[in-house]
Amino acid sequence: MNTLTIARFTIQEAISRRLILAGAVLSLAFLGLFTLGFYLIYHNDSELSGPLSDAQSQAMFGTVMSVLGLYAVNFLAGFLALFISVGAISGEIDSGALHAVLARPLRRAEFVVGRWLAYAGLIGVYVGLMAGSLLLAARLISGYTTPDPLRATLLMMLASIVLLTVSLFGSTVLSTLANGVVVFSLFGLAWLAGIIEFIGGALSNEAMLNIGTAVSLLIPSDAIWRGASYYVLSPLYLAGLSTGYDGIGIVGHRPPATGR
Amino acid sequence: MSLTASAEPPVSAVERTAIVPAIETVGLRKAYRGTVVLHDLSLSVAPGEVFGFLGQNGAGKTTTVKILMGLVRPTTGEARIFGLPAGDREARRRVGYLPENFRFHDWLTGAGLLDFHGRPAGLSAGERRARIPEVIQRVGLAGRGDERIRTYSKGMTQRIGLAQAIFHRPKLVLLDEPTSALDPVGRREVRDLIRSLRDDGITVFLNSHLLSEVEMVCDRVAIIDRGRVVHSGRMEELLSGVSELRVKVDRVDDELLSALKRFADVVAVDGSETEPGNEQRAPGVRHGATVTLAVTDLELAPLVAETVIRRGYQLFGLVPVHRSLEEIFMDLIEGGQR
Repeated sequence: MNTLTIARFTIQEAISRRLILAGAVLSLAFLGLFTLGFYLIYHNDSELSGPLSDAQSQAMFGTVMSVLGLYAVNFLAGFLALFISVGAISGEIDSGALHAVLARPLRRAEFVVGRWLAYAGLIGVYVGLMAGSLLLAARLISGYTTPDPLRATLLMMLASIVLLTVSLFGSTVLSTLANGVVVFSLFGLAWLAGIIEFIGGALSNEAMLNIGTAVSLLIPSDAIWRGASYYVLSPLYLAGLSTGYDGIGIVGHRPPATGR
Repeated sequence: MSLTASAEPPVSAVERTAIVPAIETVGLRKAYRGTVVLHDLSLSVAPGEVFGFLGQNGAGKTTTVKILMGLVRPTTGEARIFGLPAGDREARRRVGYLPENFRFHDWLTGAGLLDFHGRPAGLSAGERRARIPEVIQRVGLAGRGDERIRTYSKGMTQRIGLAQAIFHRPKLVLLDEPTSALDPVGRREVRDLIRSLRDDGITVFLNSHLLSEVEMVCDRVAIIDRGRVVHSGRMEELLSGVSELRVKVDRVDDELLSALKRFADVVAVDGSETEPGNEQRAPGVRHGATVTLAVTDLELAPLVAETVIRRGYQLFGLVPVHRSLEEIFMDLIEGGQR
């Protein structure tokens, strides 16, 4: 009950501070620009298809458009998760506003969990709407059907919620600034380790692969993203990987549960 | 002890008969990384009392209040609110709290803040709706409840803080410096509010360094200095303990002083011209001097008057002065620092 009160209060705060309005306006702008860009590329079909068949070029285009779009959404959602939560507790402690609230018959855990619930809900809705709109746009433009949009979207939500959880926890023990430094470094580290792991895979370098795995265990946001991206890739595109092509460096080419 | 007696619930005879104190602390000690801010603090506040908790900045007042609210855990010792451990949910339900810095979520409106705080306090939607205008009126914010706290002045913010402290009809209200941002009119209103809370049977724990405020409104006080209670007692007793008598005479000399010293300590001699030769140089001139005596009993006044007149001095005034809380406070604090 108290948890829901805090969650409601946190959503009210996001509305009142125009977080949701600003987010909605910028997201619409992003979606509009992205769709327009890919629409223009798709209909400028002179060299794009090349020697590929219609089905192959559609799969290629649909995969690239979906992956790039979702990659951007994943980045934006990760930033959103970190920005809204980095001072969610520490800021309240610093301002002193928490004193009056915690003096109520309210457990500290209820306050933290209530805030987490609200933010996780906001992020879930954000990822759901953005990923859904993007995949729909890709389909409308190129006719490409994403193999498993639901799994991809749910895993993307999970990736951002992992970041949210780490950052909200950090906010209970660190100052806003220190927590910001820590969580954004972790976010960047996960991204870098994902690239290292990809290159390690292409070069069959065991040490690089191990670095990637170790960092993913510490902060799995990038690994989860790679799992999500797998469900967007066209089977035709995946089939091309057996011909010695290493694929796109920012996506995962195997289903998430099967490891390397 | 018989078997039947030992089968009873473990409640001592004292607890059954005595009134459970609104606040009770036993041997509270708090140290932050080796710096001790509270030493062995023991207090008891009876229900219905307005209790003043006085001390300099940094004496440990706010730490004590935070321990009582369960915001800070004591290093050792125990604090109870109506017999419940401080910080217990049920204890907190019965307490209203105005924090020292009175910072609230400023994106809320005044009414929104009260509604938010009323939820965990256990008030239903109907109760909250009915009580919001009533409390807003009571703290003097009528008509401003739908404005955002961000737009409030310091004094208005403090008023809305008072409103959230009393919103859920607590049995005990802890006010940490409730008038620090208020002008004289606002302070008077807060005093009236505290008195009306007392009339409703609500216990008020007033944390303040504004001694005149405390003097006007509190029944009992405890004075705390560097983490220790240096005095506690009823306000009248504290104020009536030592008084002063100001004796205004035409001149002062050693003879008069030694005569007066038989009754009381001479605290000060002002405006006297007792240097040798002065009396001779201007005989008959009223130099005008005031001798301040510390007396335990103002009944001494006629005796002092008689002494002065019989020895041939002219008496212009004899004014009994009650010492203010501030003077008593300063004596206690300075005494402790010696």
